[in-house]
Amino acid sequence: MATGYAPSSMYRSREGMGIWEHKGKVAAVGVGHSPTERRWDERPETSVGAWSIMALRNAIADAGVEPDHIDGIVIVPETTTGAFWPDDKPLPQDVINAFVQTDDPLDGVAKLSVEWLLKNMPELTNINYSVYAPVCMSNALNVAAQAVGDGLAHTVLVLKAWHNLEGRYYQGGQNAQDAIGGTSAIRSLWGAPACYGTALQFAEYCRKYGKDHDMMTPFIINSRRNGLMFPEGYWAQHRPEELTPEDYQLARWIAKPANLFDNDIPIMCAASYLFTTAERAKDMKQKPVYVLNHVDSDAVPRGLTPTLDEVEAECALTGRKIYEGAGITAADLSFENMYDGFTQFHQFHLEGLGYRGIGFGDALDFYQTDISIEGPNPVSPSGGNIGSGRSRFWMHTDSIQQLQGRAGGRQITGVNAEIGVSGGPMPLGGNYTVWSATPD
Amino acid sequence: MKQGVIPDELTAPFWSAANESKLVIQNCSRCDRLQHPPAQDCGQCKSGENLEWKEMNGTGHIYNYGVVHDCPIRLLQDDQPFNVAVIMLDDDPGIQMYSHLPGTPVDDVPVGAAVEVVFEKSANGQKIPEWKVVN
Amino acid sequence: MTILISFDIDGTMEIGDPAGAVTLEMVKTARAKGIITGSCSDRPMSAQRAIWEQYGVEYDFVCYKHLLSDLKTQFEVEEYYHVGDRDDLDRKYAIQAGFGFFWPDEAAASPLLL
Ligand SMILES: [Zn+2]
Repeated sequence: MATGYAPSSMYRSREGMGIWEHKGKVAAVGVGHSPTERRWDERPETSVGAWSIMALRNAIADAGVEPDHIDGIVIVPETTTGAFWPDDKPLPQDVINAFVQTDDPLDGVAKLSVEWLLKNMPELTNINYSVYAPVCMSNALNVAAQAVGDGLAHTVLVLKAWHNLEGRYYQGGQNAQDAIGGTSAIRSLWGAPACYGTALQFAEYCRKYGKDHDMMTPFIINSRRNGLMFPEGYWAQHRPEELTPEDYQLARWIAKPANLFDNDIPIMCAASYLFTTAERAKDMKQKPVYVLNHVDSDAVPRGLTPTLDEVEAECALTGRKIYEGAGITAADLSFENMYDGFTQFHQFHLEGLGYRGIGFGDALDFYQTDISIEGPNPVSPSGGNIGSGRSRFWMHTDSIQQLQGRAGGRQITGVNAEIGVSGGPMPLGGNYTVWSATPD
Repeated sequence: MKQGVIPDELTAPFWSAANESKLVIQNCSRCDRLQHPPAQDCGQCKSGENLEWKEMNGTGHIYNYGVVHDCPIRLLQDDQPFNVAVIMLDDDPGIQMYSHLPGTPVDDVPVGAAVEVVFEKSANGQKIPEWKVVN
Repeated sequence: MTILISFDIDGTMEIGDPAGAVTLEMVKTARAKGIITGSCSDRPMSAQRAIWEQYGVEYDFVCYKHLLSDLKTQFEVEEYYHVGDRDDLDRKYAIQAGFGFFWPDEAAASPLLL
């Protein structure tokens, strides 16, 4: 069984598609996580493969299903945070030998295939549907929801895992060379770090609407606070450091107006969810969380980097698609868990959603109000990447747990958790899922 | 100092024009549409049949900027902090180019100001299009 | 002679992530010699205070790396040093602020800390 990437027909990219044909008929039930680490210590039991297996087994156990009932798997094969196994570094033979290996020695070390997982999880005896989703859990969730809805499989594991290797983020490879290829040079010669594009959009946003960087402070503090109540997260597990206004506002710039704490921290971790039909979900161990819709944003900027106009237009379109396919309005959202890694585009997502009635230019003022989990307008109750490290999946775990009523210390209390939305990453180019405690 | 450039098949016309102090941008003659970065196919009609290189008049405006304090590229780290601006070409504001804005003080960038192209040598001698504020 | 030494944490101190060559005992030794000590790190300043308190090591300041020159205005001493592991941050900001600079292993072998 060769696994390929999901076809574009599985994504809901256009406006005007109407209510999703499988609304309320697909549910997430189980959640499974690995621990987190800053970097891999090169032991077999902490490899990206080992942690993927752990996350998958945790999701299976959490849902309370027998492994042989699972017939589908959707994974993201890319696992890098930006670190790649150096060409000149010897392969980690003891790790490779600790698992049943595929033809690719870095499978399970710096990438992941379905073949590798199935070789190392002999209990998954009935997988007859497997597919890859690129890059993000957000994308894989869209694919899993559509696959279950379409009947390609009835009980599906979804997985995203991240490896991070020793050494500093993005400092090796072509960034260390004296000359680079002509195609990448057109974008990269000027030395803009990853957060630069978002910082630019934020700079224009501040000029247009008369806002400033310090107005991000309540969002940052709220995100880290929520993250410290996420026992699965990096900061909660390793460095339970709150952030104060002084900590944030005096931090050094990476690409002004983005500072150190507008960026997330690359980590190792893996998470898995178990998706199934609404019908089968009734008999499982956890309360089903129903998928009302899934949405894909496939916009491409005209130039090197998206303009604020392009960002706002796409976020507004994404918001309309989210509501259209779910058959809901902004007023139906109990909470939002849009992506935050970089912090400075979270407000675009919020404004595109029209969360709590806000429009473009309003979000930073909204941040100055009560955005806590205890208030009526919870913002990013997961705490996102700022709260728990770079995974791009905390928002999905949190949405499921909120609607199951088992978000623990993060459980929103100012409103009943009935419908939430999560997704990302970028304003141009992301995938979103609408979740509900009830199927309609 | 910027990294040197090793032109590849796709971008060779852009870089060789730069060495002659000319700015050329890829154009689809069928769509009458410029695109940058260059690609194998036109972003609009998806065909590679009608792509050509068109010389620009070399003027633009500063659309936006950020100040880079923590750059991943080793050769640029001694120059931190530095401006990285986005220039929109007067020939077509949808076409953007990055610039360090030589001569403009760090974080004192006149957004909206007119700029003109200049050509600056990189680490391996390849000339790079750069932009200077027009007084 | 009055001296101030600022320590980066991650990659520099034994309690950092990654761990570095400078031990808490070395910091205590410096303090016993009357040297003014504290941290200048990318960690949140509130977290830097918490670290010193957690390990029971007294400190005179916490700071961000890029604010070393501000730190200099707060303490009038004859010699200022920063210990860190990053050329483009620790060393650069130290030189800009007029601090002497030690790599972690140099500091760990320095008579100031032994
Ligand atoms: Zn065309």
